Amino acid sequence: MESTSALGVRAEEITRVSERHWHALADDRVVGRAEATRRPDGRTFLSIDVWHDVVFDQLARVVLAELPRPLHTIVDEADAGLTAQWRRAGFTVRRREWEYLVPTDPALTGLGASLPEVTILPAGQADEQLLRALDRSIRDEVGTGWPDMPAEVLPRPAGVTVLDPAKYTVAMRSGQYAGLCRLGPVSRQPRIGLLAVRREHQRRGVARALLAHVLDLLHRKGIGAAWADVTESAAAATALFEGIGARRSSSTLELLLDGQVRP
Amino acid sequence: MTKSSKGIEVQGTVVECLRNATFKVELENGHHLLAHISGKIRKNYIKILPYDRVLVEVSPYDLNRGRILFRYRS
Repeated sequence: MESTSALGVRAEEITRVSERHWHALADDRVVGRAEATRRPDGRTFLSIDVWHDVVFDQLARVVLAELPRPLHTIVDEADAGLTAQWRRAGFTVRRREWEYLVPTDPALTGLGASLPEVTILPAGQADEQLLRALDRSIRDEVGTGWPDMPAEVLPRPAGVTVLDPAKYTVAMRSGQYAGLCRLGPVSRQPRIGLLAVRREHQRRGVARALLAHVLDLLHRKGIGAAWADVTESAAAATALFEGIGARRSSSTLELLLDGQVRP
Repeated sequence: MTKSSKGIEVQGTVVECLRNATFKVELENGHHLLAHISGKIRKNYIKILPYDRVLVEVSPYDLNRGRILFRYRS
């Protein structure tokens, strides 16, 4: 617990209310909250919500003193105030994700009929064991770079990477499961949560075939656009989405506090 | 703990997504305010769009400011 005077305005009290939650109090009122969340990949992401900068700094000082490194957080790049707050706390930019609005109309995407050597298994029709094996193979190929893939935030049992097989469309090539596309809730604007192809089948039009199928399905349902987050350094994914007319709508920064001293 | 209490929480509808990561929200009483999204929503990549029904915590320091805590399923 700590108590300080902030700019002579009010005293604040910072209290850890549970293993992963902290509150900043003033006049018996919560004026700030911090929460640490553990992602399925094992990384800890921190969030702090306050009404005043000074409370952010107080919360950050207490929380950062109590948590092991490394720590991560997510900010909308357009939110300059929040980004500055995290930078003051010592966080630096680890990577940027672009949020793309992806049109679904084939007249806009230019995605036509699938290649003859690629067969699409619509969502829910893939063999579950083969789908899980495909997912594992892709993750093995990506290896330590997986945290740079689209975020996976839903809690899941240890070792389980495919939570809901019904959300996956699968592409087959040469008789093998070659690639997959996970589509988030098909509401007003669905999210392409994951698009991945096994290394030996890359650059063969598999990802385009998956997108062609998924986007056409949405178009037929009257949904005009989907959205997708693409890591800035993923040149192939960027080229793919921009090549079908997707446009950047915003960007997200993943910030890191790793505890290493830099010159 | 805690001797704390929740802030003022009200339901509203997002009427506009603004450029600086804020949203214009119309509360049930017709009042409009500018709201950021909570860290929890941000961490979970929950997309906020116009017409979304949301739960907003109103700032105790400025009733024209708020924070979106939750997006209801439509």
